[in-house]
Amino acid sequence: MKVQNIRTLSLILCMISYLLVGAAVFDALESETESSKKKILEQKRNELKKKYGFTQDDYREIERVVLQSEPHRAGRQWKFAGSFYFAITVITTIGYGHAAPGTDSGRTFCMFYAVLGIPLTLVMFQSMGERINTLVRYLLCRLKCCMGLRWTDVSMGNMVLVGLLSCMSTLCVGAAAFSHFEGWTFFHAYYYCFITLTTIGFGDFVALQKKEALQRRIPYVAFSFMYILVGLAVIGAFLNLVVLRFLTYSTQEGTRSLEVEREEQAAVPKRPWGGKAVEEADVEASARDRFCISALCSCMCFRLCACDSPFPSRCEHSGCHSNPLFYNSISYRVDEASCSSRGTSAQSSPSSGALFLGMSNSHTRRKSV
Amino acid sequence: MKRQNVRTLSLIICTFTYLLVGAAVFDALESKKEKTQKKKVYDRKQELMNTYNLSQFNFDELERVVLQLKPHKAGVQWKFAGSFYFAITVITTIGYGHAAPSTDGGKVFCMLYALLGIPLTLVMFQSLGERINTLVRYLLHRLKKCLGMRRTEVSMVNMVAIGFISCMSTLCIGALSFSYFEGWSFFHAYYYCFITLTTIGFGDYVALQKDHALQTNPKYVAFCFIYILTGLTVIGAFLNLVVLRFMTMNAEDEKRDAEQRALLSRNGQAGGHNHMRCTPDLPSSSSAASGCGGGSGNSGVGGAGRGLRNVYAEVLHFQSMCSCLWYKSREKLQYSIPMIIPRDLSTSDTYMEQGEAFSSDPLHPLHSNGCICSMHHPHSAISSVSTGLHSLTPYRLGHSKRRSSI
Repeated sequence: MKVQNIRTLSLILCMISYLLVGAAVFDALESETESSKKKILEQKRNELKKKYGFTQDDYREIERVVLQSEPHRAGRQWKFAGSFYFAITVITTIGYGHAAPGTDSGRTFCMFYAVLGIPLTLVMFQSMGERINTLVRYLLCRLKCCMGLRWTDVSMGNMVLVGLLSCMSTLCVGAAAFSHFEGWTFFHAYYYCFITLTTIGFGDFVALQKKEALQRRIPYVAFSFMYILVGLAVIGAFLNLVVLRFLTYSTQEGTRSLEVEREEQAAVPKRPWGGKAVEEADVEASARDRFCISALCSCMCFRLCACDSPFPSRCEHSGCHSNPLFYNSISYRVDEASCSSRGTSAQSSPSSGALFLGMSNSHTRRKSV
Repeated sequence: MKRQNVRTLSLIICTFTYLLVGAAVFDALESKKEKTQKKKVYDRKQELMNTYNLSQFNFDELERVVLQLKPHKAGVQWKFAGSFYFAITVITTIGYGHAAPSTDGGKVFCMLYALLGIPLTLVMFQSLGERINTLVRYLLHRLKKCLGMRRTEVSMVNMVAIGFISCMSTLCIGALSFSYFEGWSFFHAYYYCFITLTTIGFGDYVALQKDHALQTNPKYVAFCFIYILTGLTVIGAFLNLVVLRFMTMNAEDEKRDAEQRALLSRNGQAGGHNHMRCTPDLPSSSSAASGCGGGSGNSGVGGAGRGLRNVYAEVLHFQSMCSCLWYKSREKLQYSIPMIIPRDLSTSDTYMEQGEAFSSDPLHPLHSNGCICSMHHPHSAISSVSTGLHSLTPYRLGHSKRRSSI
């Protein structure tokens, strides 16, 4: 079976098992608490009913009124500040639900708003995330240079570490801030930040719902909005660094195998010279390799020459001056491969093969259709 | 300023403007109703307090109890079925909030669960979405063949149209089912499906909350789960088709910049020589560039609406000069040194020679300068150099398929 199909099937199986395991654990963690809480609350309810002499209908009426007034408890939700908050929850797909459109026209507009806004936001955050990653890479490179390290390359490990640290600090900063402003415990505030920045957005904890904050505490409102958007950018940068390649990877695989199939279909009957056997591909590959190196852009040839020169410790000769990304890019690896392949041509195949299959590349490839 | 920075800044400004406009419209649509409803509810509350002789304190007590009982109204939420439902809402980031972990242990596990589950789910849906797109492309191709159409290639427009239609039908099927099972109006059920499948998940409408469905109606429960997961796959496939490419634009520009820098930073003579050879190609490359720049449609040379893309493509194409150059040299070489031309080269040469025969091939349109710049080809070869070395892999990707910028 094709690699992509196997991969897709295993991912599906993985996800289903993950859901089953998660369900079992949540059941174990929450079920008992739920049933005991429910019992207590129902007891309390019955007590109160008895105390005030409510009939079932009476109680139902009160319940209805209470539930209807619930969204209004937190203040005006649809003035400009509240609407802005709501718009953020829509296009970032957080979707707390603390305020949901009550009119049908509001719902319709919400749907159209989301259709355009969600892709815009996705692209925006990935774009910003990439810029952030590039900046971080550059700064890290300069830092390494300043600290006088010999090897000033910024590896993927470095980037992932920095990414993780920034995510954790973003969450902690948010937790500290919201626990102060909202009066939650640090843990609940951290949980709120996490649920918000992963765009899950349960709505069990929602900021700006106390003491009419949306109307009264404008600086805090501004802080909340900025925090959510900046936090999402940081998370987006981390996702861009770590996850995006896997999203485009399967797409590349698919298109590549498509290409191979087409090639195999087309190449066989239409070869003008009566065909070279497939088995000779390796020989041809090495011949091609030599041809490739000599006839290709002379820049690459120059690069090969430069490859041999010893690296001085000055930054100008390392990646800092041009682009640290370059050293993680495919071009650099190609150089390395080419450099090493002068001796053994076979070496470039596995390295570029590894490159092709390499999930450790920091660059991302975009599929085109 | 670098293109990536301009792009990022404009996207940020765009998003902010979009938020402001959205806020203004929502304010206009909802504010009034909120005000009137608030007053109505407040009046009713006062009435009730008078009728039953309740003080504010008493009422607050009642209110507390009612609100705390609210999640329990819908039935047991944390038995296995309910937990599975919850787990789905976590890893797909829908997050209704109809049930949220109340214990601290549950919250901690929820966070850890999401940390691993969300990337897994993202990758899974994109992987499955890509498979679906490939299948659809294949089926469409066959359909076109069966219908006896002359041009059987599957264009981007075809794919987008089909993607859009499948999204709409998924939403409509869901709307019909949920309006029937949950007793909502069609519009509300459609709204529910939309909010669910875009993973916004307000929680104002949540399935499986009526009549203890989670415990008593396993078939409906199974249907809901399957619907949510399948629907997300369909949406994911559409996103994979349309949006994913835009998410990697900056990174590719960055890479191209780096390669250009490498190109320009080499020895002057060699560079100058190469440039000399490259430059004459530039004018002729515009047509190919516009063709390359297009990522859709069947037409070979850039159309009216592609002006901006041409700019992108032209810069990209300058960088891809080397590879085109390479093919040209190969073409010349083929007649002088036929023995060392590997299979891959020969194949692409045959493409060049037998251009006409290949025009029906969906993925390899030719351009006048002989560059094999395929705009249709769903291949993402980035640079000339990488192309060269990729062909060394066992996958034998001989042709340089220039990837269009957009």
